[in-house]
Amino acid sequence: MNEYDDKWEDRINALMDGELSATDAELLKTQASDDHDLACAIIEAYQLQQAMGAIHVERAPDSLRKRLRAIPRKHRPAPAFSLLQPRWAMALAALPLVVIAVSLMRPDTPSASEIAQARQELAIAFAYLDKAKLITGREIESSVGQTMADAVTDSVNRAIKSQNLNSKEKEA
Amino acid sequence: MSKRYRQWVKEYQDQAWTVARYILKDAQEAEDATQEAFVKLWNNRDNVDPERVQAWLMKVTRNGCLDRLRRRRDNVEFDESYMTGDISGPMQDVATNETREWLKRAIASLKEPYRSLVVLRDVNQHSYEEVAGILELNLAQVKTYLHRARKQLREQLAEVRP
Repeated sequence: MNEYDDKWEDRINALMDGELSATDAELLKTQASDDHDLACAIIEAYQLQQAMGAIHVERAPDSLRKRLRAIPRKHRPAPAFSLLQPRWAMALAALPLVVIAVSLMRPDTPSASEIAQARQELAIAFAYLDKAKLITGREIESSVGQTMADAVTDSVNRAIKSQNLNSKEKEA
Repeated sequence: MSKRYRQWVKEYQDQAWTVARYILKDAQEAEDATQEAFVKLWNNRDNVDPERVQAWLMKVTRNGCLDRLRRRRDNVEFDESYMTGDISGPMQDVATNETREWLKRAIASLKEPYRSLVVLRDVNQHSYEEVAGILELNLAQVKTYLHRARKQLREQLAEVRP
């Protein structure tokens, strides 16, 4: 076996693996008795196999064993919803800011009690105006007659109605 | 599921560690690589065929180690001297222990895929079929490469033996 010979190499390995047939083993033996290099290769293969036999799977160190056991605990799937998750915690923290911002942006709307009070004040004002209208009408009537009085009180009435309408629109 | 994972750890942690140790030649990095492989196993525990867990894990461990080797080379921190370490010096009257240590270093100094082939087949004792599955080679390739690897080791061993 002066040159590398795949055929013999395969047979040497098959011999080492215990996969060589009896016929091929005999053939190899015959060949080796005439070929010093082949004989050496077979001896070296045995020596390597012996040395390999002394090498075993190495025991993983304790530190690694501990790390591997801890994997299920450290790599739990994240729950679908949790207030402790960063995104939810941030959303919660931002909530007061949103409320403040919305309240600042919202137009001023009076409360129900404020509206009720405004209505009451308006009613008093209109009652006062109605009374004023009667007094004015009587005074004009006594000085310039019914036709003139009607013309004046009508314009006062229109002004009051217009005021009243505006107030209701604002209220709405 | 956690129980099954614990069983896998018990059965395969030493084999995965051995593969990582031989490829990386650095204990700390080998630990990290082995842990990474088991994290992947945990994350894929529902997808991995239970019958093929061992082959899957060895493949993932080896690929992770090779990635680390590539990154080492990229960072120019790779210790080439380790790869070409003095494994052929005069060793008269070699004791078994010394031969074993020498052989470990010789295996570690083999190039890929020879190194993985020897570790998986001759150290971890996987079958040829399993090795073929792990390394994604066909059976003929596994045998050819393994024979070359063994021949290299054999010749080196012959040089150091009296």
